[in-house]
Amino acid sequence: MRERLSPPAGSRIDRSRPVAFEFEGRAFTGYAGDTIASALAANGAWCLSRSFKLHRPRGSFGFAGDEAGALVQLESEPNVQADTRAVEPGLRVQAQNTVGGLERDQAALLGRFERFLPVGFYYKAFYKPRGVWNWWEKIIRRTAGLGRVDRSWTPEYFDKAYAHCDVAVIGGGAAGLAAAAACGDQGLDVLLIEREPELGGWLTYGRRKSADRTLDDLRRRVQALTSVRVMTSATCTGWYADNWLAVSQGNRLHKVRARAVIACTGGTSQPAVFRNNDLPGIVSAAAAQRLIRHYGVRPGLRAVVLTTGDEGYAAALDLAEHGTDVAAVVDCRPDPPAGPMASQAEARGHRILSGHTVREARRDSQRLQIGGVLVTRVTGPGACAADGEELDCDLLVVAAGVAPAGGLLAQAGAKFRPSGRGAVPRLESLPAHAYAAGVAAGASTVEEALAQGEQAGLAAAADLSGSAAAAPAIAARPAAAEPTVSWPVFPHPDGHEFVDLDEDVTVREIEDALAEGYEDIELLKRYSTVGMGPSQGRLSAIATAAVTAAAQDSTAAAVGATTNRPPSVPTRFGLFAGRGFQPVRHTPMQGWHVDAGAQMMTAGLWMRPAYYGPPEKRADAIADEVLAVRRAVGLIDVSTLGGFEIRGPDALEFLERAYTPSFRRLRVGRTRYALLTDEQGVVVDDGVAARQGPDHYYVTASTSGAEQLYPLLLWYQAQWQLDVDIADVTSAYGAINIAGPQARRVLEKLGIDIGLSPEACPYLAARTGKLAGVDVRLLRIGFVGELGYEIHPPASQSLGLWQALIDAGRDYGIRPFGVEAQRVLRLEKGHVIVTQDTDGLTHPHEVDLGWALGRRKPFFVGKRSIEILREKGLSRRLVGYAVPDRRAAVPDEGHLVVRDGEITGRVTSSAWSPVLDQAIGLAYVAPDQAEVGSVITIKAARGRLVEAEVVRLPFYDPENLRQAI
Amino acid sequence: MVSPRSPIQNALQAAGAVFGEHSGVTAVTDFGAPIGEAAAARRLGLADLSPLPRVGFRGPGARDWLTAQGVELPDEPNQARTQTDGAIAITRSWTEVLVLGRIQEADSLCARLAAGAADAHCARAYSLPRFDGMFWFALTGASAADCLAKLCGVDMREPAFPVGSVAQTSLARLNAVIVHVDVGEAPLFHLLGDSASADYAWTSLLDAMQEFGGRPVGLRVLHALAREFK
Repeated sequence: MRERLSPPAGSRIDRSRPVAFEFEGRAFTGYAGDTIASALAANGAWCLSRSFKLHRPRGSFGFAGDEAGALVQLESEPNVQADTRAVEPGLRVQAQNTVGGLERDQAALLGRFERFLPVGFYYKAFYKPRGVWNWWEKIIRRTAGLGRVDRSWTPEYFDKAYAHCDVAVIGGGAAGLAAAAACGDQGLDVLLIEREPELGGWLTYGRRKSADRTLDDLRRRVQALTSVRVMTSATCTGWYADNWLAVSQGNRLHKVRARAVIACTGGTSQPAVFRNNDLPGIVSAAAAQRLIRHYGVRPGLRAVVLTTGDEGYAAALDLAEHGTDVAAVVDCRPDPPAGPMASQAEARGHRILSGHTVREARRDSQRLQIGGVLVTRVTGPGACAADGEELDCDLLVVAAGVAPAGGLLAQAGAKFRPSGRGAVPRLESLPAHAYAAGVAAGASTVEEALAQGEQAGLAAAADLSGSAAAAPAIAARPAAAEPTVSWPVFPHPDGHEFVDLDEDVTVREIEDALAEGYEDIELLKRYSTVGMGPSQGRLSAIATAAVTAAAQDSTAAAVGATTNRPPSVPTRFGLFAGRGFQPVRHTPMQGWHVDAGAQMMTAGLWMRPAYYGPPEKRADAIADEVLAVRRAVGLIDVSTLGGFEIRGPDALEFLERAYTPSFRRLRVGRTRYALLTDEQGVVVDDGVAARQGPDHYYVTASTSGAEQLYPLLLWYQAQWQLDVDIADVTSAYGAINIAGPQARRVLEKLGIDIGLSPEACPYLAARTGKLAGVDVRLLRIGFVGELGYEIHPPASQSLGLWQALIDAGRDYGIRPFGVEAQRVLRLEKGHVIVTQDTDGLTHPHEVDLGWALGRRKPFFVGKRSIEILREKGLSRRLVGYAVPDRRAAVPDEGHLVVRDGEITGRVTSSAWSPVLDQAIGLAYVAPDQAEVGSVITIKAARGRLVEAEVVRLPFYDPENLRQAI
Repeated sequence: MVSPRSPIQNALQAAGAVFGEHSGVTAVTDFGAPIGEAAAARRLGLADLSPLPRVGFRGPGARDWLTAQGVELPDEPNQARTQTDGAIAITRSWTEVLVLGRIQEADSLCARLAAGAADAHCARAYSLPRFDGMFWFALTGASAADCLAKLCGVDMREPAFPVGSVAQTSLARLNAVIVHVDVGEAPLFHLLGDSASADYAWTSLLDAMQEFGGRPVGLRVLHALAREFK
C-alpha cells in the first residue's frame, strides 16, 4: 500500500484498521472507511472494469457512485458501485465485463470492429436471415457485461419501513443543513436524508478557508435540534405524488411521507468531451478533492487540470499542496476572469494555459490508465487546433462545470431549462409544497447555498403553518454566473470522444442518430442509448444537448431534456423484492390438520386440507374419504365459508333485494339456499341463509367469494339505506360439517341439547344449542348428499369440539375428509360450485338454478338481466355426464366438448366416482346436446376423444333420500 | 369441557409459554424468563391478550344502549376511553363500539354487556363476536412505534398518534385496529385483527421486532407495568 497523505487529509479512514481484500485475484490493503475504489486508487489502481460495448478500460470519474465505469462484481453481488461501497476484510472483487480478466480482456477486440457497431446497430442487424437471432442472442447475452448473478446465493434480509415528517430535506450539504436547521428552529419534525455516510456534502471535501467553521457550526446546530432526524448513507431514489419519497438505506426501503420537501441535492461534476476522455485516471475536480480529504489518497504524481471555471484552480491548489506536481492548468476560456482561486494559483506560479483545451488523452504504455494529454488552442466553439503541446501526466482533473442534480425535483414536477445559449439547466418552477436550495437551485457559492437553505426552510415552515403564501425558493441567477465559454465538447476526426461513458456513445454517434432523423431528444435517447446507463444522463445530458444544439444550430433550451423517472439511481432488487406481506388465514383446526398428515392447499387466503395422507397415495386417500362419508361418517373443516349476520327491522328486505330467492316464507329455525347474481344476472356466489330470529339471518358464503361479498353487501346497503346491520363473522365461527349415515349417532354420543330426530330437526332446519357444552349453531344441510349437520361453534372452541367429534366418532368409523373428497361427493350429487362450474358470464338458467329465482319478487339484483337473458334463449347448458367406458381416460377440468371439429363446450368438474365406479363430470354443452341420453365427445389429454353420455342429475341417490333420513 | 383457546395457541406453546390463571382466564404468564421479559417490555415486548374478554356493538342504538349500561364513550370515532374499572371503550365509528376488558383484574364489564346482547338487539345495538373474531395483542416498549412503522403506514409516534388514538388501518396488509393507551413511560399499543390471521400477524410482528431486541412477553409483565402506572 502506498503511503497515504497525512491528516487532516483522510477524514473518513481509520488508519489503525487496515483492511485486506482482493481485486482481480491480487491482494490489496486499504483502511476501514475506504471505498473499494479509493483503496485501489491509494494503490495506484485506477482501472475498475471494462466498458459495456467496446470493452475499453474504465474507472470512476466522479467517485460519487454515479457511473457504470465503477461497477464491479463481488462474489455474491453484481453491479456494485466500487466508488461508494465500503471495502471489507476478505472482500473478493472482480472487474465486470471482461473475458479473461481486466488486464487481458479478450473482448477488447470488439473495439477493432467498432465501425460495424454504429449507433442503433442492434435495430438494424441480427434479424436477417430469419431465425439468425437465435444464434446471435447467445453471443450477445454472453458479451453484454452486466455482472454475474450468483444463483447459489443465500438471500439477505431486506425489508421496508414507513417514515413520517413535516419536512423532508433531501441532501445534507450546506444548503440541506441550513434548511433542516431553519425548519427545526420552527419546531417542525424534520427528516434530513443524506446519501453519504456523513453530513456536509461539499464542505467535507471542497477547498475552504482554513478558519472556516461553517461545517462544524451547521452540524452542531442540527444535532442540537431534537426535532431533526438525520439519515446518513440513505439515498432518495424517487419522489412520487403527494411527497411520497422512496429512500433506500442499507437493506431497507423507507417509504417517507412528508408534508413538504426541500431538495438540496447538490450537483454533478460534468466530464469534458474530447478524444479518449474515458481513460482511467481522468477524474472530476470534486473526485480529486474527495480522494485527498476523505481518503488521504494522493490522486497522482503529475497532474494536468482542465477547467472552464474557478473550480479547476481550487483543485490545482489542493493537488499541489498535497504533493502532486501540477503540470498545467488548461483553461478553455480565452480570457478567464480573475477568480479567487485562479488568482491564488497564478500567485503560486502555476502554469496556466488560457484559451486551451485537452484535445486528446493518451494511454500509458504500461498501465490501463492515462499517460499524457495533447493540449491545443481553442479555435472556436467546439473546435481546437490539431497540434499543440504533449504533457505527460498520470492524472487529468476535469472541472467542466457542475450540473444541478435535479432528477428528483423533475420527478416531482419541477421544471428546469437552460438559460440563454447556456447548456446547464436552471430551475424554473417548483410544484406545491416543494422547495429547493443549494447547487440544485442554482447556488454557486457556499454563502448562496446557506442563504437559500435558510430561506427554503422558512418558506416550508410558513407553508405548513398556513401563515403565509410561501414563495418557492428559486434564486435569480447572477449575471456573472452565465457561461463565458461554450460547453467543452471537442469532436476529433478519429472519434472516441465519449458523450456517455456508461453506454460508449460518442459525438459522432449522436450526430449520426440526428442525421437519421432521431431529432427529438426522447427518440435520440432511445435510439442511441445515451443517458440510459446507471448515471441516467446525469453525466451525459448536458453534453448531449450541447452536441444536438450544435448539430441543429439551435440551443440546449430548444433541444429540451428527457423525462426523469424513478428510481433516480441504481437500486438493488432486494429493496423492491424484499420482505413483502402476504396475509394467510388459518382455521382453528389448522394445526390439527397438519399433525394428521393433511396435504394443505390454498383457497384464497385460506389454507385447507386437500386430503389426508402422503401425496403418493392421493387417489386412494380421496377414495377412502369419499367412501367413509357414504358408508359411515366423515368430518370436514368448513370454517373457511363466509358468515354474515344480517340483523335489523329491514333484514328480510335486504335479503330479498340482494339474493335471488324469496325468503318471505322462511320461518325462524329454517334455512334456504341463497343465490347471488350481479346486475348483469351473472352468478357470483351462493350459500345458505338461516333465519335465527324474526329480524336476524345468518348467511353463509363460499370460501372464495366471501371476501368480495362482504364489501358488495355493504355497497348495496350504502345505496339502499335500509335499517339493517351486516356483520362479517367469518372468523368468529368455526364450521364443521359432519356427514354420513352415522352422523346423528356421533352427535348424540357427544351430548347435544338439540333434538336430532328427523321430526325435531328435519332437513334444512337451523337450530342453536349446546354440543359438548359448546354453544353452536346447527344447520341441517347436505352439500355431500348424506345425513349431515353443519356445526358452527365459536372459533376459540372449534378445535376442542373437532377433537371431541373425532373421539366420539371413533366407534362409528369417523374420518376427516378434505376438499378433494368433498368435490367428488358434491359432484356425485350434481351440486354446482360457483366459480368452478360457473364463469364470468354464467346466468342461473344455464346451470339449472332457475328454481332458486324469486320470480314474483318485484326486485333482486340481476332480475331484469336474467329475464332478458332467458328471453334470448340459452346458448349453452351445464349438464352432468358419465363415461360409460370404464377404461377410457378421465377427462380433466377444462377439456373441450367438441362436435364435428367445433367446440361446443368444456368440462368444469370431473372425477372418478368410487361409489359409482365410473368417471363423471359436469360440462357446458350446446343446448341441443343437453337432453338426457345425448352422447357428447370430450377431447381429453393428448387429443384422445372420450365419448360420454348426458345423464340426469344427481348421479347418486337421485331421490335425495339419504340426506333426509 | 371445551375451553377457549388463543388463535395462536400452538405458536405460544412452541415458544415455551407458561400458562396460568390471569384475570379469570387462562393466558400466558411468561415465557420462562420473567426478569428478562420485564426489561423487554420496556424496550419492545409483544403479549397475546386474546384470551381476555372483548365485545363489540354496532347499530343506530349502540351508543345509547352502551351509555345506558354505564359505559363512558369517547366523543368521536377512532378514539379510546379508559373506563373507571380499567376496561377500554373504543369508538370504531359513530355507530360501532369495541370494548376491551381490563387487563389487571377479572373482567366484569364485557361479561355484563355480552349477557345483555338480546336487550341490545331490541335497542338496535347488535352484538359483534369480537372475542372469537379478533385476535388481541399488546405491543409495548420504547421502540413500539418504530416497530409498527415497519408494518403500518400510519405514524404511531407522539404527538401524531397520542394516547387515546385509534387507527383502523393495515398492519402487514391485514385489517387491524391499533389503539394507543397510557401505561406510564413505555407506550403500549393494543393490536386487534382477524383471528384467522393471528398466526400470520404474530409472526410478522416478531419478525419486525427482531432488530429492536423485542420478544414475546406474558401477562405478568403487563400487570407489573399497569401497577407501576397506577
